Amino acid sequence: MNRKIMTSVGTAAVAALALTGCGGGDSSSGSSDAEQADGGVSISLAGWDFASTPEFQTLADAYHEQNPDVTVELKEYPAGNDYDTALTADLAAGTAPDVFIVKNLKNYVTFEEGGTLLDISDVAGELDPATGGLSSMAVDGKTYAVPYRQDSWLLYYNKALFDEAGVDYPDGSWTWDDYADAAATLTDGIDKKDVYGAYLHGWQSTVQGFALAQSGASLDGGDFSYLAPYYERQLAMQDDGSQPSYATVTTNELAYQSQFGTQKAAMVTMGSWYIGTLVAEQASGDADTFEWGLAPAPQADESTTGMDNTPVTFGDPTTMGINAGIDESKVAAAKDFLKFAAGPDGAAALAEIGITPALIDDTVADTVFGLDGVPQDDLSRFAYTTHETLPENPVGPNTAAIQTILGDLHSAVMSESDPVDDAIADAQERVANEVG
Amino acid sequence: MATSVVDDHDSGALGLPHPVQPPRRRPRASLKLRNALVGWTFVLPNFAGFAVLTLIPVFLLFYYSMTSWNIFGNADWVGLENYSRLIGDKSFHVALGNTFYYAAFHIPLTIAASLGLALLLNQKLRGAAFFRTVAFFPYITSIVAIAVVWNMLFSPEYGPINQFIGTFVGGELPGWTVSKDWAMPAVIIVGTWRYMGYYMLLFLAGLQTVPAELHEAARIDGAGVWQRFWNVTLPCLRPTMFFVTVMVTIESFKVFDLILVMTEGGPGQSTLVLSQYIWQKGFEQFELGYASSVAVVLFLICIAVTVVQFLYNKRRDA
Repeated sequence: MNRKIMTSVGTAAVAALALTGCGGGDSSSGSSDAEQADGGVSISLAGWDFASTPEFQTLADAYHEQNPDVTVELKEYPAGNDYDTALTADLAAGTAPDVFIVKNLKNYVTFEEGGTLLDISDVAGELDPATGGLSSMAVDGKTYAVPYRQDSWLLYYNKALFDEAGVDYPDGSWTWDDYADAAATLTDGIDKKDVYGAYLHGWQSTVQGFALAQSGASLDGGDFSYLAPYYERQLAMQDDGSQPSYATVTTNELAYQSQFGTQKAAMVTMGSWYIGTLVAEQASGDADTFEWGLAPAPQADESTTGMDNTPVTFGDPTTMGINAGIDESKVAAAKDFLKFAAGPDGAAALAEIGITPALIDDTVADTVFGLDGVPQDDLSRFAYTTHETLPENPVGPNTAAIQTILGDLHSAVMSESDPVDDAIADAQERVANEVG
Repeated sequence: MATSVVDDHDSGALGLPHPVQPPRRRPRASLKLRNALVGWTFVLPNFAGFAVLTLIPVFLLFYYSMTSWNIFGNADWVGLENYSRLIGDKSFHVALGNTFYYAAFHIPLTIAASLGLALLLNQKLRGAAFFRTVAFFPYITSIVAIAVVWNMLFSPEYGPINQFIGTFVGGELPGWTVSKDWAMPAVIIVGTWRYMGYYMLLFLAGLQTVPAELHEAARIDGAGVWQRFWNVTLPCLRPTMFFVTVMVTIESFKVFDLILVMTEGGPGQSTLVLSQYIWQKGFEQFELGYASSVAVVLFLICIAVTVVQFLYNKRRDA
């Protein structure tokens, strides 16, 4: 009766497989033990790539120090765009952590409309109104996530290359036309092959972020003509050779860190996160050692230039929200953690590791400019502390879809496949046809 | 298909003697059942994984394509609304057109290149094994590395490809991956280069089954190289050719990773293909219901093309 034995063995094996397969899923969520043995509370926080992104651990530690009875446990997700995908899957399955980072502002509405975010208007109400990006988080008068970090885009310039070309340093009065003129003079003045006056990275933000913020247009207004002057200027700069062409930047995967850091470009516009990177790379030798400075981003016209005005720039806040599925007993602790992270104490902790918090006060500025290698001139400090930063991805239901279309516009225009006006007309037609 | 189940009644037709006494029904049935059970038990572990990870999601796909699901909350039934939206969606039309553009060139080019390589490397020449390995390399190389290197080769200003072309022709050189007109040809070239080694291997295996006697007979009859290829090699390769055609076709309709890492669908929408459009709608804009309907269309295209190929092959078989 060999067959019989085989059949029963086989069936048993399958049953065992099925049972173990089913049993594996339950134990992993791990967030249900709200009450710890010592009576403290534990809340979980979603972040990404802890090895190279220390901000989550920093906030968790700093908070635990102030509130020893609350422990913030970190749950690591993949970095890059995979963070949103993995977190979304966990949110849909109901296994996401208590507090999570809304990494990309364009998905904020998706999370909010999906009912995954708790209404935390009370937390937002207690924060300093000067917290960068806070006001843009309101949806129908309610806030579901608060910014703890906000990078703003600035102009970085290489003082050595400016000296070499005999060009005056930026003085805070620059419009984009001044910037383009300086780039051309610098390119001519620096007598080295493959060294350019400016570098424009391949991202659509590098053109569209400034255009949206400085023109005062609205992203979902259906009219993209505000982009035209910004693109015309960048195309002219790429044509006259004052910056590497988009084709070269994308096909050779040029990195802004190496272009500016190894003195291939005298100027670059980039987010304030690059301050910490540049300081670290100069210290490690990955970047050349040279004197550099910060200036406000070039402006559309003279109405916002000069150190007695507030320059307009862009940058998306990175925000934190509470999972709507959080255990009732942990809501108070989670809200308190958010208040801490977005408040002055969290800001001070973040500044110490070189991260630009959403709330920039004197303590933060002193900490950042106290780091070795950060430029000490007045304009650099002014540029870092004074700006009106508007979001690149204003909160709205159609932002993600519109940005996809504008991304296509960017590659079509910058590769000089389509003339600016045609590409804008095409994008407007697509938005009317496909969005909302 | 050619094989068919031979049941009890056919045994006479196959020339087997009828059993003198028909066996009693009962033990026979239980033996059959037991055999089936044993078979099922062996298949089940694999089938369970297939069902959970592939089969059920495919059925769910059809359901989701008729909902407005955005990953969170309920999937609300909208009937054929997603499909009527597809009809007016210009980006979908662009993606569909680009997918056919890619397939129309990628399929014949890959078959020609891999068959040519196979014929070449089927010769008894020194180092054939080495060259076979070389031709197979692209297939096992990481797609991201391929994209980075090819993008540099295609770089319009500094890339070696344009510098090489520039020594022969003057005037404006192709912009390759950063030009609306040339991005698709560039992707097709890389796609063909990447897959030809793999299909070459299949053709090489097929070539081993071509009887040498047929070639010899043809040669004695005075057939030239071309005639022998056309009348001996190709007909003998037909089963392999059929398999390769089906595989290349499906592979080119669902092309995704290569496009994503080389051009991200750009410049503009010049290399946007269906599977990337599905990804864009589903995982960037969280319109999973709508993305599902695009996926259903892609699925139907693949099925339709495969069925046509099957029918064609069957007619030739008869």
